[in-house]
Amino acid sequence: MAASSKVTVVLKAVKNITAQFCPFESNVGSTRMFLSVMSSHKVRATNLNCEVISTVKHDRSEPVVEITYLDGDKLMLKGAKLNCSEMLSAFQSMCAAKELQAKLAAAKK
Amino acid sequence: MAATLCRILLPKQGWLPFTQCVRHGSKSVTRHKRPLHFLKQKLMSVTRYIPPPRPAPIGAYPRQTIRDQEDDPFTILIKKKLKSVFQESKMIAVVQNSGSTADEMMLLKYKLHKHGITVKFFPNQVMRSFLKDSTYSNMAPLFIGHTVLFISKEPKVKEMLSSLRTSRHMLLLGACIDNTLLSAQGVVSYSKLPSVAVVQGELVSGLTLLTSQTAAMLQRHPAQLSALLQQHVKQQSSEGAPKAQEAT
Repeated sequence: MAASSKVTVVLKAVKNITAQFCPFESNVGSTRMFLSVMSSHKVRATNLNCEVISTVKHDRSEPVVEITYLDGDKLMLKGAKLNCSEMLSAFQSMCAAKELQAKLAAAKK
Repeated sequence: MAATLCRILLPKQGWLPFTQCVRHGSKSVTRHKRPLHFLKQKLMSVTRYIPPPRPAPIGAYPRQTIRDQEDDPFTILIKKKLKSVFQESKMIAVVQNSGSTADEMMLLKYKLHKHGITVKFFPNQVMRSFLKDSTYSNMAPLFIGHTVLFISKEPKVKEMLSSLRTSRHMLLLGACIDNTLLSAQGVVSYSKLPSVAVVQGELVSGLTLLTSQTAAMLQRHPAQLSALLQQHVKQQSSEGAPKAQEAT
């Protein structure tokens, strides 16, 4: 959780975040932490239109977080073998890339 | 200065000087390290400074699992409370709270209190250590992150589900109803079950259906009954004939 307190997560380029996990499995911790970070007030306040939808299943499936961006791209994070900080860093790098693209597009115009 | 000292100390020829000049012949400040007197060398080696061992930096090694550590009194108190909770209540639901405000929590608590459901918070570590020792050990993986417990003496699942549907941030993970561990979908299907009285009534009616039919038939006019029995005999004989034909 230290990562989230030092670096703020900005959701401006994100359309929605869907997560599915089975809480009785042992590899779900990182996904749940990631979800709680995404649903916190600060992060939600950056983009009020972004929805965080989570489904609870019981079929021994792997935990998956799917992030849909405004330009249609999707980022799938399979949280079974990932750390929470790794997921956050991957998400933030993608968001930074999207922001750069948007800035370049705005500059061209 | 050293040369004048030497002259005074040698008065007659052939005599050994009774005082030796110590100040001349070796310098105290040298460019190389002067060999220490043996006694001084021994003293220095005995009184050498040995610094205390510095601990490894934080995060260098994984944490050693601390086993057989006694619980502090607060933990013992919480465990007593948990034991009483598990004994008294029939329904214990575990819900993940992902960022709900104090207002939302207050409203939810108020809604649930009307139906007799209490909202409790317990520390995850204490919860997991308590569950490990009790019979509810399979509930332990549910307690990760920010979790809330919904406790009630009677399993009022429909009201709980309706209030959870309205709140956006609360996510039902699982529940222990009547000492049976249910998943989220299990809880939903449990809510759709009819009540015990209805099920008992259905069972009784299914069992007594045939006997009630025979009783009704016997109570009718005897001519109708004889006609029914003749029809029954005809059907049996017609079934018997095709079977004998198939056999041959």
